[in-house]
Amino acid sequence: MPEIFINGQPVRADASQTVMQAALANGFFIPYFCWHPQLSVAGNCRICCVQVEGRSWVEIACNMPVSEGLHVLTDSELVRAHRKTTMQFITLNHPVDCGICDKAGECTLQDYHFAYNGSPSVSREPKVHATKFHDLSERIVLDNERCILCSRCVRFTREISKSNALGIKNRGDVSLVRAADDHPLDADPYSDNVIDICPVGALLSKPFLHKARVWYLKPTPSVCPGCERGCTVNIWHRKPEWHLRALDQKQNFNIARVTPLENPAVNGPWICNKGRDLAHIFERPRADHAMQKGKPVELATAIDAARRLIGEAKRAVALVSSWGADEELAAFKDALAGRFTTYVKRDHAAEPGERLEDDLLIRPDKNPNTFGARALFGAESVREPVFPADTDLVLVWGEGCNFARLPPAAKIVFLNAYLQPENGHADVFIPVSIQTERAGHYTNFKGVASGFERCFAKRATVADAQELFAALGTVPTGKP
Amino acid sequence: MPGKQLLMTFPVTATSHTLADYVARDGYAAFRKALTQLKPEDVTKEVTASGLLGHGGAAFPAGRKWSVVHLNDQQPHYLCANADEGEPGTFKDRWILENAPHLLIESMLIASYALQVRNAFVYIRGEFDLPYRRLAAAVEEAYAAGYLGERILGTEFACDIVIYRGAGSYVCGEASGLLSSIEGKRGYPRNRPPRLTVQGLYKRPTVVNNVETLSNIAGIVARGAEAYRKVGTAKCPGTQLVSISGHIARPGVYEVEYGYPMAKFLHEDCGGMLPGYTLKCIVPGGISTKVLTAAEVEPLTFDHQSFTAAGSSLGSGGMIAIGEGTCMVRLLQVMLRFYHHESCGQCTPCREGMGWLHRIIDRIVAGEGRPEDIDSLYRISRLQDGMTICGMGDAAGFATVGILDKYREEFDYWIREKRSKFGGNLEGSTRA
Repeated sequence: MPEIFINGQPVRADASQTVMQAALANGFFIPYFCWHPQLSVAGNCRICCVQVEGRSWVEIACNMPVSEGLHVLTDSELVRAHRKTTMQFITLNHPVDCGICDKAGECTLQDYHFAYNGSPSVSREPKVHATKFHDLSERIVLDNERCILCSRCVRFTREISKSNALGIKNRGDVSLVRAADDHPLDADPYSDNVIDICPVGALLSKPFLHKARVWYLKPTPSVCPGCERGCTVNIWHRKPEWHLRALDQKQNFNIARVTPLENPAVNGPWICNKGRDLAHIFERPRADHAMQKGKPVELATAIDAARRLIGEAKRAVALVSSWGADEELAAFKDALAGRFTTYVKRDHAAEPGERLEDDLLIRPDKNPNTFGARALFGAESVREPVFPADTDLVLVWGEGCNFARLPPAAKIVFLNAYLQPENGHADVFIPVSIQTERAGHYTNFKGVASGFERCFAKRATVADAQELFAALGTVPTGKP
Repeated sequence: MPGKQLLMTFPVTATSHTLADYVARDGYAAFRKALTQLKPEDVTKEVTASGLLGHGGAAFPAGRKWSVVHLNDQQPHYLCANADEGEPGTFKDRWILENAPHLLIESMLIASYALQVRNAFVYIRGEFDLPYRRLAAAVEEAYAAGYLGERILGTEFACDIVIYRGAGSYVCGEASGLLSSIEGKRGYPRNRPPRLTVQGLYKRPTVVNNVETLSNIAGIVARGAEAYRKVGTAKCPGTQLVSISGHIARPGVYEVEYGYPMAKFLHEDCGGMLPGYTLKCIVPGGISTKVLTAAEVEPLTFDHQSFTAAGSSLGSGGMIAIGEGTCMVRLLQVMLRFYHHESCGQCTPCREGMGWLHRIIDRIVAGEGRPEDIDSLYRISRLQDGMTICGMGDAAGFATVGILDKYREEFDYWIREKRSKFGGNLEGSTRA
C-alpha cells in the first residue's frame, strides 16, 4: 500500500490504483469527462490534469499510476490555468444551446464551466457545425455539435454491452460518433446507458426528448420489475411543487424517465432498456373499480364478498403474484396461507424477441420477486398449480393466469391492477395498487432485497394488497 | 559527400537493391555473425555501446529502448520498423527502402534475434509505391534464400516479417498510433504509461524503431561499436540521412556525418541556393521543428547538441531551404492546414486547437486579421504544449511559435496592410 500525498495530505492508495482513483476514494475531487470508473482509460479529455510537485508541467490523473511518496497537486495555479484552457478548448465548438438541451441541469460540461472556467469564449471564429438530430437508433438521437468526443459511449458498447455498435468516423475536429453499419445500436438492449454516461447533451433519449427540464423532476428510488435481477432505478416524475395546473394534468403522474440507481451489489451503474421503459408496464390502462361478475360495486362491498367466499371455501387454491413485494407476500402468508394451497405464479414471461439472458444483467425469469415468494412459500410452490377436483375457490393475484385452466366449478377472486377481460368474469374482482403507488422490497435472484418507494398516491377505489390481505384474513362480519 | 558514409556506401545501379548485389557487398554477413557468434544480450550491449540514436525525430538512444525488453520472460515480443515517413520535408527512409531494402531486413533480423522477436513488422506509408514494391520483393527474396522463416541458417532461430501498408495518416507514424493501426484499430496514439517496450503491440513488449535507425544495426554488428563511435562526434556518434528540398540547387538525400559544418553542407555539398536565390531560413528537421534563419544556421555544426542550443532540433532530417522573398504567413498557413487535416481528433487540445489555429491564419490571409490574433496564435500553441497524448500537439506549436518569433513583422504587415509583404509568394524570389 503505497502512501501518496494529495495537496500535501497523506493518502493510502492501492498499488494498482491511478491517482484519479486514489483521489476520489479519499475525498479529493479531480474533474473528468472521458474517465469512467467502469470503462478503460482513454485519457483524451485532458481535464483531469494534476501537477506533480516540483515539475513545471501537468499530467493527467486518470492514467498516472500511484507510486510511493508521490506528491500531487490537484489545485495549483498551473493546474487551474490548464483546466481553464482545456475548458475553453472543449467549449470552442460547443453550441452552448443549454436553453434547449435536455441535459441542462445535470450536465458535466455546464457544471465544470462554472467551476473551472466561467469566462466568455476567447475565440471570435465561427463555430464548426456538425450534424444535429442524427438518429443513432430508434431510441437515441445524437447531436454532434454538443459532442465532446470523450468516447465513453464507444467504449461502453465495446467493453460493457459488447455490441460494438458505436465508433468514431472521420478525423480531427470533424470526427463524428456513428453507429456501425453491421452492428446496429437498436440490437443492443443496453443502448440507453450511453445517454447517462454522456457527459454532455449529445446523446439524448427520444422518448424523453424535450419532455421536461430535469429540475422540475424528482427521482424516487425504485426497483425495476423487468426481471429477477431487480436493478435499482430512479423513477423520475414531476415534483409536487412543479405540478402542471394547465395542459394535460396527467403528466403530473406520469413516469418521465427511468435512470439507473448505482448499486454495486446488484446492477452497478447500468440498467437495460426494458428498465427504461417502465412506463410501458406501469402506464397500461388501469382497473380502478371493484366488480362482482362484471357489475361495478364499492370496494368495501367487494372485500366483504371476497372475505365471505374465503370463509365458506372448503378447498381453496391461491396463485400469488411474483410481482408482489416481500411485505405483501408476508401479509398474505400471515393472514391467508392457512386457508389456501398456495402456488407462486409467474406473472410475466419474456416478450417475443426479448433477450432471455446474458452475462451482464438480463435474467431469464421476467418477474422481480420469485425469490422472495419462494423463500416464504417453499420451492415446491413455484410450479404449475395442481387443482384438486373438489376445488371450490381460486384466488388469483396479479397477471399471467390462464383462466381457462382453472376448475370450472370454482369461485374466482381476482386481484389485478390492469384492465383485462377476465376482470369482469371473476366472481369478485378487486383492483390493487401498482409498484409506483406503494413502498416495499423485492428480493432478487441472489437474495439481495432492494427497496422501492412510493412515487404517486393510489386512488381511493383501489386496494393496497398488504392491507387487503389483512382484511380478508379476519372473520366475516356476519351479514350475508 | 559530407563526411564519412555508413549507409550510402555503394553506387546506386539498376540492380543494387537486389539480394545478389547485396550479398556481393558482404550482405547478411553481420546477421550470420550475430546468429552464430553473439548471444542476444551481446547484440543489445553492442548497440548500446555504439550510442546509436533514434533517427525518427526524437533522437532517443536505441540501446536504451532495447534494454527495457526483458529476455526470456515467457511472452512474445514484437519489433516494428516505422516506415510511415510522413513528416513534411522528410523522405530519407524512402532512399533506404528503394535502394537498400535488404539492409533493413538484415538489421531487423539482427534486432529480432537480440530482442527474441518471432514476428516483426514493417509499417510502410501507403503512398510509398516503389519503396513498397522493392521491399516486398526483397522480403520474398530473403524467404527464398532462407534468411526468413523457420530454422534460419540452420539454427533454431525463426522470424517472419510482415509488411503492413498504412492508409495515409500522419498520426500513424507516431509509434503507438502505428501499433493501433496494425491491430486494426483507428490510428489513435496511446497514453503513456505503459511504455510500448512494456506493453505495445497486442499488449506485448514492442520495440518500434525508425527505418534508418534499424538500418544502422547491421553495420554496428559487422564493424563493432568502436568503429561506429569513430564516426560523428563524441556525444552524437554516426551519421544521419538528410533529405533536403526547397530552393536549393541540388535537392535530394544526403548522408551527413554528425559534426559536419552546416554552411559547408548547404553551400558546397548541396550546391548552394538555386540561381538568384539567397537563403532566408531553414526548416531543419521536418516542419515540426522550429525554423532557423540563415544567420542562425550557417555557423552550426550538424549534430543534435548544436541544433538544440540554437533553439531547434535536427528532428527527422527533413530539411527545407527557404529563399528570400518567401511569405512566411502563407508558409505557416500551409503548415497549419496540414496539422489541422492530420489531427486524429482524439484528445481535446489538438483536436480543437489545430482547427482554431488554422481558422485564425486563414482569416489573416483573407485580410480579416486583427492585431490580437497573433497573441491568440501564441496562446493556443503554448497551451497545446505537453497537454496532448502524442507529440503532434507540441509539434504544431513549435512550428507556429518558431515562425512567429522570427517573422512576426510579416504577420503584423499582413494584418495592417491586408496583404502579404511578399505577394503571398511561396516560391521565393530571385529579385531579393
